[in-house]
Parts: sequence; C-alpha cells; structure tokens
Amino acid sequence: MMRFWLKAADAWRAVRAYRLRAVFCSLSVALGVGAITIIVAATEGAYKQAYDMVDRFGPDALLIFGESEEARATGRREKNITVEDVEALRQAFPTAYLVVPMSNRGDMIVAYRNRKHSTRLTGTTADYSRSWSWPVTEGRDLTEQDVKGLRNVALVGRTIVQELFPDEDPIGKSIFVRNLAVQVVGVLEERGSTGPGHNLDDRIVMPITTAMKKILNEKDRVQAVRMRFVDAKRMEHFEAEVRSFLRKRHGLQEGQPDDFRIVSPREIVKFLVALTGSLVVFIGVTGLLSLVVAGFVLANLFLLSVNERIPEIGVRRSVGARRGDILLQFLTEAVTLTAVGGVLGFGIGVLGGPLLKHAAQFPMHFSWKAFAVGMMTATLVGVVFGMQPARKAAAVHPIEAVRKGS
Amino acid sequence: MSLCVLEDVWKTYTLGDVRVDVLRGVSLSIEPGEFTAVMGPSGSGKTTLMNILGCLDVPSDGRYILAGKDVTHMSDDELSRMRSEYIGFIFQSFHLLPYATALENVLLPTLYVERRLDGRRKRAMELLALVGLGDRAGFKPSQLSGGQQQRVAIARALMNAPRIILADEPTGALDSGTAKDIMNLLTELNRQGTTVVVVTHDPEVAGYARRIVKVRDGVVVEDTETASKAGERPVHDALLA
Ligand SMILES: Nc1ncnc2c1ncn2[C@@H]1O[C@H](COP(=O)(O)OP(=O)(O)OP(=O)(O)O)[C@@H](O)[C@H]1O
Ligand SMILES: [Mg+2]
Repeated sequence: MMRFWLKAADAWRAVRAYRLRAVFCSLSVALGVGAITIIVAATEGAYKQAYDMVDRFGPDALLIFGESEEARATGRREKNITVEDVEALRQAFPTAYLVVPMSNRGDMIVAYRNRKHSTRLTGTTADYSRSWSWPVTEGRDLTEQDVKGLRNVALVGRTIVQELFPDEDPIGKSIFVRNLAVQVVGVLEERGSTGPGHNLDDRIVMPITTAMKKILNEKDRVQAVRMRFVDAKRMEHFEAEVRSFLRKRHGLQEGQPDDFRIVSPREIVKFLVALTGSLVVFIGVTGLLSLVVAGFVLANLFLLSVNERIPEIGVRRSVGARRGDILLQFLTEAVTLTAVGGVLGFGIGVLGGPLLKHAAQFPMHFSWKAFAVGMMTATLVGVVFGMQPARKAAAVHPIEAVRKGS
Repeated sequence: MSLCVLEDVWKTYTLGDVRVDVLRGVSLSIEPGEFTAVMGPSGSGKTTLMNILGCLDVPSDGRYILAGKDVTHMSDDELSRMRSEYIGFIFQSFHLLPYATALENVLLPTLYVERRLDGRRKRAMELLALVGLGDRAGFKPSQLSGGQQQRVAIARALMNAPRIILADEPTGALDSGTAKDIMNLLTELNRQGTTVVVVTHDPEVAGYARRIVKVRDGVVVEDTETASKAGERPVHDALLA
C-alpha cells in the first residue's frame, strides 16, 4: 500500500514537471468530460422532471380533453365532452375510483374589498384535493353538497391568498369572482411553478356546477375529465379502453380522428424525454468527438514525452524497474492527467449547465452519477490512449536508454 | 566465492547482414571487495562488458554468474530483480531525474524493491550526508554542480545496499579536481567493503584501482594487480563519518 502511494507521488511529480503536456492533456479531456457531464445531468434532469410531473399529475390518472388534436393545434375552442359523457364513463369504468369533470377559464377577475387579481378558475366536483393529490392545508375541501347545491364556495391557491389576503385569514371571507359573491372555504398547499407563466398556485377552485351555470354560462359541456384508476400498472390498457368507449359514444367511424385528447403519464414522460433526447444526441456527439480528439492529443504528447525521457526510463530500469513498472508509471501519469481533466470537466459541466438551463429551459440535475460517469470516461481515455505510449516506454531496452546522452 | 564470474562470454550484434562480435570470449572473475579498473581503446567493448556485469544485457554466448546465480538465461523481470538487489550503477552523465530533488533521486531505487521500506528516508539522508550533500537534499539537479550531481548519483547507487558498484567513466564529464574527489569517495566506499568496477580511459583514474583489466577488440589482453594510489592519499574520513 505504501509503495502504491510512493509510486503515485512519483507519477504526480512527473505530471507536474511537464507542464505543457499536463495543461493540454487535462484541458482537452476536460472539454469532453464537461459535455458528458451535461448530458448525464440533462438526462437525469429530464427524467426527474418527468417523474415529478407524473407524480403531480398522478401516475394512475388520465386527463381527457374535449378537443381534438387538430383543434388544439389551430387554437380553435372545442368542447366535445358532455356532462352525460362523464356520467357514462363513471358507470362504465368501475376500475376508476375517481371520475372528475373540470372546466377551466383563465383571466378571471377575483376581488376582495379594494384588492383585485386576475387568476384562473377551475370548476370541479367534490374531492378536488384527492383527485389531484393536492392537500387542502387550511379549511376544508369541496363536498358533494357544494356541487349538488350549486353553492358559492371556493378553494384558493397560495398566490390568491398573497394577493387578496396579505394579512388576513382568508377562510370564511367573501370574495367576488366576476360578479358572483363566493365564500372561501379552503386553501391549497403551495405547489410552485412548472415554468414561467405556469404558476400552479395562482388559481381558484369552485364546484363545477356553480362555475358552469353562474360564471361560464355553460349548460352541459365540460372542458376535461380526470379519471384515476385503482391499478396504476395497467394505464395503457385503461387508456385504450377509454378511447374506444368515447369513440363509440361520439359515433366516430374507423379512420376518423378522435374528437378528444387523452393525456397519460406515459405521454408526459415521452414528451419530456424526447425534448431532452435531441439535445443529448447533439451534445453527446460533440462530447465523444472531443474526447477522441483529447485522446489523440494525449497519445501524441505522451509519445513525445517518452522519447524525451528515454534516459529517465534507462535509469529507472537500471535501478530495478521492470517493464511493467515503466508501463504502469506512464499509464498512471496519463490517468492522473485525464482524471484532473475529469474533475475540471465536471466543473465545466456544473458551470455550463445553468447557462443551458437558462437558454433552453432545460431541466438539469447534477448528481454523483454525472460525476461518476465523467470520471469513468476520463479514466478510460487515459488508459486507452495512454496505453500505446506506455507500452513504447516499457519496450525501451535499458541499454539504449542509458546510452542516450552519455 | 567469486562475486562475478564471466565464462567465455561473447556478445554479438547483427546490423543488417553484418555480424559484429563486440565481446569475443571474455573470461573474468571479480572477488568481493575488489577495486577494478577496466581500460581499453574506444569501441573495444568496455561498456558492453559493464552492461553484462550489471545485468542490463545478457551474453550471446557463454555464461555469467552473479552472486552464485546464473544470470545468462534469466527473464527480463528476473534481471530487473538482480539489478535491484545487487547492482549500483554510476553513469558518465549522472542520469538524475531532472524534476526530482536530490533526496527523491536517492530514494528512486526503493520504488522497485520488494523488501520493507521502513527508514528509507533516514537512510537516504544519511547517504546524502555521506557524499557530503546533507544540506542539499531539497535541491534539483539543475541547482547542483556536475560533481555534486555525481555525488547524488553515487548515493542513489548505494541506496539499496548493492554488492557491487559499476561506474562507466564516472569522471568523464568532470574537471580533474572534482574527478579526484569522486574517485576518493569511491575508494572510501571500497575500503568499507563495497566491490567497485570503474571503466575509464584515464590512467590517473585507473590509478585508484588495485586491479587493472585491459580490453582490446572484445578480448581481455591484460589483467594486473597494482599498488593502489589510494593508500598514498589523505583519506577523507569525514565523508564516511
Ligand atoms: N546495440 C548495438 N548494436 C550494434 N553495435 C553495437 C551496439 N552496442 C555497441 N555496439 C558496438 O560495439 C562496440 C563496442 O561498444 P562499447 O560501447 O562497448 O565500447 P566502449 O569500449 O565502451 O567504447 P567507448 O570507450 O567509446 O565508450 C562498438 O563498435 C559499438 O559500435
Ligand atoms: Mg563506453
């Protein structure tokens, strides 16, 4: 063990002695490793974000919008799901423990005394908190009675509390939603935002009956239905069943597109990972190329170094170094340099990552994994590209070596 | 028992189609404690002979026995082991690692030995003191004079307590004053029991030895015992204190 450290110290001396070689080798490796670090962090970040979103969305949930893919793409408003559709889904899918209709509307003015705020209204049935796994932290959730009785009650998000009730308890207070007086019965837990303009806490939640009839002027059309199933493992199966059920109900022929849209956890993951994928490929190719370039830089500089240090090799051999010792010495030097490059590269990744995150709205997650992958690649570059020069050094005959310069 | 025994040793190089017999049947034995000078014209095979004595190379024909072990057919790794255990080399151009300090250079041989390393730094410091460089342990070779560098090389050669010191023109790169210091140091080491073989052109240098082997065209042409000059000189006992 002690001898190992002595040899490491010996290699470290040589590494430091040949500065130019050290700088070029480690910097070129650092660039490649930086790219690799970013890839790993981006991939991890994408999956983490995807799973966070799925978690929030509900891994056992489907969200069915009453608009076709085409309508969504062109920005046309469609509401193809009726209150009866929702009831029929509830009847047809006993495996769904929740079937909740929703109607959303943005730019909804809410007011309390002289304070005003524009927010997003969500109309839903009882148990909003359960169907979105979104706890009510103060007050109570919406109830069956609220919905049946078209009661003027609401849950509010944190942002509304901040805007309308900066220093008051909102529970029990009466606010105006457009022209309707509504009582606040509960406050939702803080959720934060999923990106700019997506502040999840900026919302007010009311019984869907009240919202449709008294605010949205909507008779029987809902915007979306949310379903949660008991068995989260069979979501693909449920998605297919819901699709064919609704197609049949809406009288769609074979070949006609859906007049609704189903969002599933799987789709969320797919979307985010695909988004990340293209960047990963780009950076990956760049990273690998720069690692190969770094490898050749290293191999060439080490070959020069071996030629320059033939007398040194001779002396080491003359005092008892075996071929293997010389091989190991040069490999250790190579790996030391690439490892230094690896650490620098991780630094580059950590510094460069946020830039990318900023510029491309890219989720990024630096963990020990990114570091480990970076260090492993760096070590590999050192071993692979240091091998040939090291073998050349080991093959130098001690006589040739001591003859040089004497 | 003889320390080194060369029995009818040949060394042949082939350059393309041309075979060059550099050593042509050298037989020689070296006893423990001897101080031998090898002399001869340039190209006569002195360095080749030293390389074989030092296990850096093996005979093309004949036998070489070092410390009772037949080295002739040893593998490269086994030869390395023999060098590490029995041999201390001193070269004309010192061959110190330029990036390592004097102390680190002296410690170099310990990297490749299998026995325990306890007290290695203490021994290296003692050897540096012995060659008169106790206060220069942290100096790089570029900060030392030629004579001082050769002293460091001698300390390095002694580090593994070798049975024999092989010096190929150790004073070839030094002025005559410094050369005398180095030869006095080698003489002292010999007095302490280390076997020394020195290759030289310089009769002055050869005068320190008690045996002179003359080589010409790859054969030993003369092998004589002499009265060492060393006895006539003031001995630098301080170096060995
Ligand atoms: N690897 C080799 N290949 C071919 N010839 C060699 C090789 N090594 C040595 N020789 C030849 O062997 C002969 C003796 O060389 P050697 O170095 O032993 O001489 P030397 O007595 O030490 O000479 P000098 O006093 O100049 O150092 C020379 O003619 C040299 O050219
Ligand atoms: Mg020679």
